[in-house]
Amino acid sequence: MIGWLRHQKHAFAAALRRLGAHPVATLLTALAMGVAISLPGGLYLGLGHLDRLAGDLPAQPEISVFLDAGASTAEKQRLAARLQQADIAEARYVPKDDALATLSAAQDLADITAGLMQNPLPDAWVVRPQTTSREELARVAADLGKLPGVAETHLDSQWAARLQAALAIGRTGVWLLAGLFAIALVAISGNAIRAQVLARRDEILVSRLIGATDRYIRRPFLYVGALQGMLGGLAAGGVLAVAGTLLRAPVEHLADLYGSAFHLLPPAATEIVVVLGLTTLFGWLGAWLSVTRALHQVEAAR
Amino acid sequence: MISFSQVTKRYPGGHEALSGVNLAIEKGELVFLTGHSGAGKSTLLKLIAAIERPTSGVVSVSGQNVGRLPQRAIPYLRRNIGLIFQDHKLLFDRNVIENVVLPLDIAGFDHRESLKRARAVIDKVGLLKREKANPVSLSGGEQQRLCIARALVSRPALLLADEPTGNLDAGYAADIMTMFRDFHQVGTTLVIATHDDRAIMALGGRTLQLDHGKIGEVAA
Repeated sequence: MIGWLRHQKHAFAAALRRLGAHPVATLLTALAMGVAISLPGGLYLGLGHLDRLAGDLPAQPEISVFLDAGASTAEKQRLAARLQQADIAEARYVPKDDALATLSAAQDLADITAGLMQNPLPDAWVVRPQTTSREELARVAADLGKLPGVAETHLDSQWAARLQAALAIGRTGVWLLAGLFAIALVAISGNAIRAQVLARRDEILVSRLIGATDRYIRRPFLYVGALQGMLGGLAAGGVLAVAGTLLRAPVEHLADLYGSAFHLLPPAATEIVVVLGLTTLFGWLGAWLSVTRALHQVEAAR
Repeated sequence: MISFSQVTKRYPGGHEALSGVNLAIEKGELVFLTGHSGAGKSTLLKLIAAIERPTSGVVSVSGQNVGRLPQRAIPYLRRNIGLIFQDHKLLFDRNVIENVVLPLDIAGFDHRESLKRARAVIDKVGLLKREKANPVSLSGGEQQRLCIARALVSRPALLLADEPTGNLDAGYAADIMTMFRDFHQVGTTLVIATHDDRAIMALGGRTLQLDHGKIGEVAA
């Protein structure tokens, strides 16, 4: 056990020395990995922000039913009765005064609405039908629109549902991309390690002659791969931090134009830890594949 | 300690380096292997250290059938054998003491303790003043002594030397043979492949003559 720990310590120190001995190569490999990781990483962060934006919007499709300004009480009652039927999951009445109040509060339009002589908004129902299929929704909306006293129906939240669907594709895309770039990471690490194994061919042969196990020979290379992967992860963090800094001002300007306090957030600590852990793991994996293969070749060439 | 029973080694391509070799070497013996180059001296040493495996027959070291040893067990066999090579097989990316300490690091000893032991062995072969030097800057004789120091540092019970004085002038060769006699006197088993007859005369010991892969004993 003590011998094992000692071996780990030695291998780790040797790995640091090997990385330090070729700082430019180390840096270039880290940079290549960093760029590869920053692509899916950046996309993931971007989608997270879109998700945060869309999260405030109702994803369930709703139909807004706007009443005629001159609708009679009987007409209103008939509509209310219609909305009790089985194809309607939920219906909420929004009197025009409430709508105006919400509008003035939500968008800082108080000064504008205060200047209005009278409330221009109609009374409305916000209706959530049972169905979510597009054809059914359209049928329900048309049905409601034909009732007397109804000025207009509007299928509201379909765009939100579409956005959600697009985001879902985006998320799948991020995972696909992350998978591809994980393979790239393994390949970059494996290639760097292969060169190192070949450069240390003599050392490997001599070490074997004086009683080194394959595990002993492999260990420093695995540490090099893992450390290289971690450096790659850190480089990706650097790339994304620079991109975030450059994007912050324009994004906030755009959000401002929409009257939103939306701004870019840095990734969560757990996300950073997970990404660094994964890049370390993939760096290690690339090293393992490469060194195992190269050791067989060295053995065969002997 | 070492026994060969009907050992044949045929290399790919058909060259038969050893044919039906039988021999037994006791613990603590000093044995010289002689013969023309290509007679099979190196092959015989390689079979003992499991660097090669016999085509047929049984090679046994300390009761282990070396030819049938699984790959993962070979490193542990080698840790008990000191190997001395004609071409030294030193590592030129590290200094003298780092070369010598390598077998102990591989075996997982405490590094500070290992350095002490390495320094003692380097002193024994007369290289203490050069412990920080790169092996490239050493003479042929010094490199050979460094190779011996590395073989000795783990205090192996068995030393195998392949032409240890092959490239050296007479003075250095005599030094190294004297060193071997000292190890023999403290009980180490030595098998030395050489065609240096003067050394054999000087040290005495048993001599095995190899001729075209067959073995014969030479009366001392």
